[in-house]
Formats: sequence, structure tokens, C-alpha cells
Amino acid sequence: MTHESQLAKKIDAGDFIVTAEFLPRASTDISEIEAIAASFKDKVTAVNVADNPHGPVLSSLAGSLALLKAGVEPVYQMVTRDRNRIAIQSDLLGAAALGIRNVLCLSGHHQTLTKSSQSANVYDIDSVQLIAAVKQMRDKGVLLDGTKIKGDFPVLIGAVAGPDMKPMELNIMRLAKKVEAGAGFIQTQAVFDIETFENWLEQARSRELTKKTAILPGVMPLESAEKAEALREKYMDLFIPDSIISRLKEAGDAAAQQKEGLAICIEIIKKIKAMEGVKGIHILSGGRENMVPEIIAKSEL
Amino acid sequence: MIVAERKTIPELVEILNGHKKILVLGCGTCVTVCLAGGEREVSIISSALRIASNIRKLDFEIEELTIERQCDNVFIEQATEAIERNDVVLSLGCGAGVQAIAERFLEKPVYAGLNTEFIGVLEERGIWTEKCAACGACVLHQYGGICPITRCAKHMLNGPCGGSREDRCEVRPDRPCAWQLIYQRLKGIGQLDRLKKIAPPKNWETSLDGGCRVIIREDHRI
Ligand code: SF4
Ligand code: SF4
Repeated sequence: MTHESQLAKKIDAGDFIVTAEFLPRASTDISEIEAIAASFKDKVTAVNVADNPHGPVLSSLAGSLALLKAGVEPVYQMVTRDRNRIAIQSDLLGAAALGIRNVLCLSGHHQTLTKSSQSANVYDIDSVQLIAAVKQMRDKGVLLDGTKIKGDFPVLIGAVAGPDMKPMELNIMRLAKKVEAGAGFIQTQAVFDIETFENWLEQARSRELTKKTAILPGVMPLESAEKAEALREKYMDLFIPDSIISRLKEAGDAAAQQKEGLAICIEIIKKIKAMEGVKGIHILSGGRENMVPEIIAKSEL
Repeated sequence: MIVAERKTIPELVEILNGHKKILVLGCGTCVTVCLAGGEREVSIISSALRIASNIRKLDFEIEELTIERQCDNVFIEQATEAIERNDVVLSLGCGAGVQAIAERFLEKPVYAGLNTEFIGVLEERGIWTEKCAACGACVLHQYGGICPITRCAKHMLNGPCGGSREDRCEVRPDRPCAWQLIYQRLKGIGQLDRLKKIAPPKNWETSLDGGCRVIIREDHRI
């Protein structure tokens, strides 16, 4: 079991980073996770384990531990939607005790956007407060209520940003706050609009945020025009320009559209990976983990 | 004010089925203003119940009354006789009104005729919106007078979530994102700097999360 975050080490060393997203299923079959771990092994620095993005599935804590056991470094995602500060800190202690070294802090899609739309709303703390809480646990060794933590809590903190969120002033203010609160790396929502991303990155650079945190832009292979339209319709944090949808449509049948989606993804990676201030790429599989190795190979990461 | 909506007539018939003498009791305060439980609605609902009773042979005998405030003892007293001569009360007060009546007439079934929705305002004719979740420790001064607890679906205190759009909230296409409003308002009044400071986790003990609340004013108890 590793006791240092390889992700943190690579960020410090200035190595190019590749992370990918794994969406656990409503399943108790651990062999599925082992298979995904095997396909990711040695291809990525770390694998994000999503925290119930669309409704209840295997927990991100259990998924992270399963990856760790299979020799893949996890990024344990935690949303503030479902757990109050008691449950959050308790899970974080457990995660750190069992070897998890990276935590991604986010608010998460609202429960009404999940399959469990009737569930109660928690949101005891927000994403910035979660980042600050994890930092306090790590740097001061105390919980939010002041209780001293026995043992180390050596975790790297990550957060999320959305380059397309407007207005830019508010967007950058939010990013700066996350960095100030303690985010050592930032994974972005999927980038489709290169110009907007470049503009956002420039703003982050001009405030020296790219020096204080490692920016890992997200990319996502789209499956078809129809699915892409449904995604952007449902999730307001996802911005897919019409031009991309048209490209998919014009590609032809389902197989051709899927191929085009992959081509677009690779094109975007190639355009953004060398930009000043980009420290790596985060592949948002959206549950299509089998696409990840091909994306990595074809975009020469 | 408290904003409420009427339960449907079929729901009310279901609730009242089996009872004979029914007092439909309106309230002259918030629920009158939001057109849910005032004198006018008492009359409309009573007529509808009488029609339903005729059609379904339910034998309802309905009396109508509206008092100034159902959450206030002084006014409740004015309804005492009417309440006593009926078998049950269908209260068109808010949730507080219904309970105030029920607690004073222990042998009398008292039913809620409304769904109490929120503390809010009349936005424009026919549209009411929620503004305050009564958290017990108001932070409006920090957010340009826009409540992030009530109007942001995630109670974000440090800026918008990723799903924020200039024209809508992630959760509902028909509602603005509170954080866009907070941003515009703070910018407008020259207080954008307030957003730069990290707001610590909120103390929810003062809210309903801390248990049902009571206010005791010793200076008023003498
Ligand atoms: S901060 Fe609390 S008291 Fe103030 S408006 Fe919001 S919910 Fe109401
Ligand atoms: S879109 Fe705005 S109002 Fe809606 S949950 Fe996100 S931050 Fe809150």
C-alpha cells in the first residue's frame, strides 16, 4: 500500500499528469472494478471515483479502496450533497487511515437531478468549506470542532472548476477562493470550446493561480449527437457548443458518430495539453471507462 | 408572509369523508393575501365541498367562518362557538394556524386544508416566490440582501456551484441562480470584496436543524 500521493509527487516534479474518471455502478461485483483498474494501470497517474453523480451506486470510498487494492491510485471524490459535516469528516478519517491520499471536493449535482430526486437535501457545508476542512485536518491535525486527530492526515486536495461558467469575474473569483482554501489541483468540467478555455486559463494565469495549483482540464468523449444534446440539456455545468453537436450529426450513423466523438476528444487534448499553465489532462469517461486507454494512446499522452 | 396553496377538492373530500358537521375556517392574514385561505377561498371551497357531497351522498353540513388570525388566541376565541357546534374543523390557515386551533380544542379533529409552502413575496400578479428559510441567524447583510440559504438550492455560502448560469439555476429552469443575483447586487453596491473572504460553515443549530424553536422574551413575561 502506497503512503504517498503519486499525484502530489508528479505535481511537485512538474510531470505531465493524466487522470481519468471511473463511475461506480449499482453493483456489488468487485471484479468489475478490478477489470477497470487493470485497464487503467500504468496508463494514468490516478483515477477519480465519482460520488453518486446520478443516484445511488457503490460508494466512492469503497470504490477508491478497491482501486487502491488493485494497485491504482484513487482520487476519492466527495460531494457535500449527501453527508453532513459529521459523516464527511468521519469518512475522510477512514479514507486516510486506509491509504487514500487524494480527495476531490465538490458540491455535486443537486439531488433532484439524480434518480433519487425525492431525497432530502443535506448541503451542510459547501465545496469551499469542504476544501478548507480537509486542509485544516491535514495542516493543523484537527477536526472542524477542534478535536485533535491522532496520526497523520496526508491528503492532496483537489477541486473542480468550469471554464465556461459566466460571468468570468465570478468564475475566477470562485476559482481563486478554492485555491486559497487549499486546492492543490483543479480538474475542470469537460472542455469543448477551446477559445473560452484559453481565455479562462489566461485569467487564471494572470492571477498566478496556475502557479499555486495544478490545472488539469477535463475532456470527454461524446457518444452521439443525441446523447450530447441530452447531457447538455440536463446538466447546466456542461457546455457543448452547437458546432460540436453538428459535427457529430454530420458524421453519420451511430458507429460513425462515436468515432467522431473520439476524434473530437483527441483533437481537443492535442490543442490544450501544451498550453501554458496546463499540468495534465483529466479524462471524464462518463462511465465509458473502456474508451480511456484508446484516448490516451491516440492523443499521445 | 407565509405562502400556501389549497389542497385539491378530491383530497379534501378524502380527508373529510365520514364527518358530517364541518366548519371551514379561514384566516384573514397571510393566507388571505396569497389567495389561499381567506374569506373568498372559504366560500369557494365550501361550495365545492357541498357539490361533492351532493354528488357522492356524503351528507356534509358545512358552516363558513373566517377570523382575523388563526395563530392568535384573541382571535381564536371568536371562533369558539362555531368550532364547538361542528364535528370537525377544516382549517384554511397556514400550518401554524391549524396547530394553534388543534391545541386549543383537544376533542375536535382539526384538518389542514392548505399546503403551507414558504415565507415569500408576491413577485407579480399570480406569482409568489420563496425568500427566507427562517434559519435563525440572518446573513443577508453579507450577500447584498439575497439569501443564499433559501434561494440557492445548495445553500452555497462561498460562490456559485458549477451549474450556475446567468439566466437560471442548475436545479430549475424557471428560477434564477441566487449567486448570479448576489454577484450583480454586490457589484452594484460596491461590495464585491465580501465574496473574497471564505465564509466558514454555518451554524445550523439556530435553524430547524437544531430542533423546534421557541423564543422567550423575559421582558414581555412580567
Ligand atoms: S439568512 Fe436565514 S433568516 Fe436571513 S433570509 Fe436567509 S434564511 Fe432567512
Ligand atoms: S445554480 Fe446557483 S442557485 Fe442553483 S444551486 Fe447552483 S449556485 Fe445555487
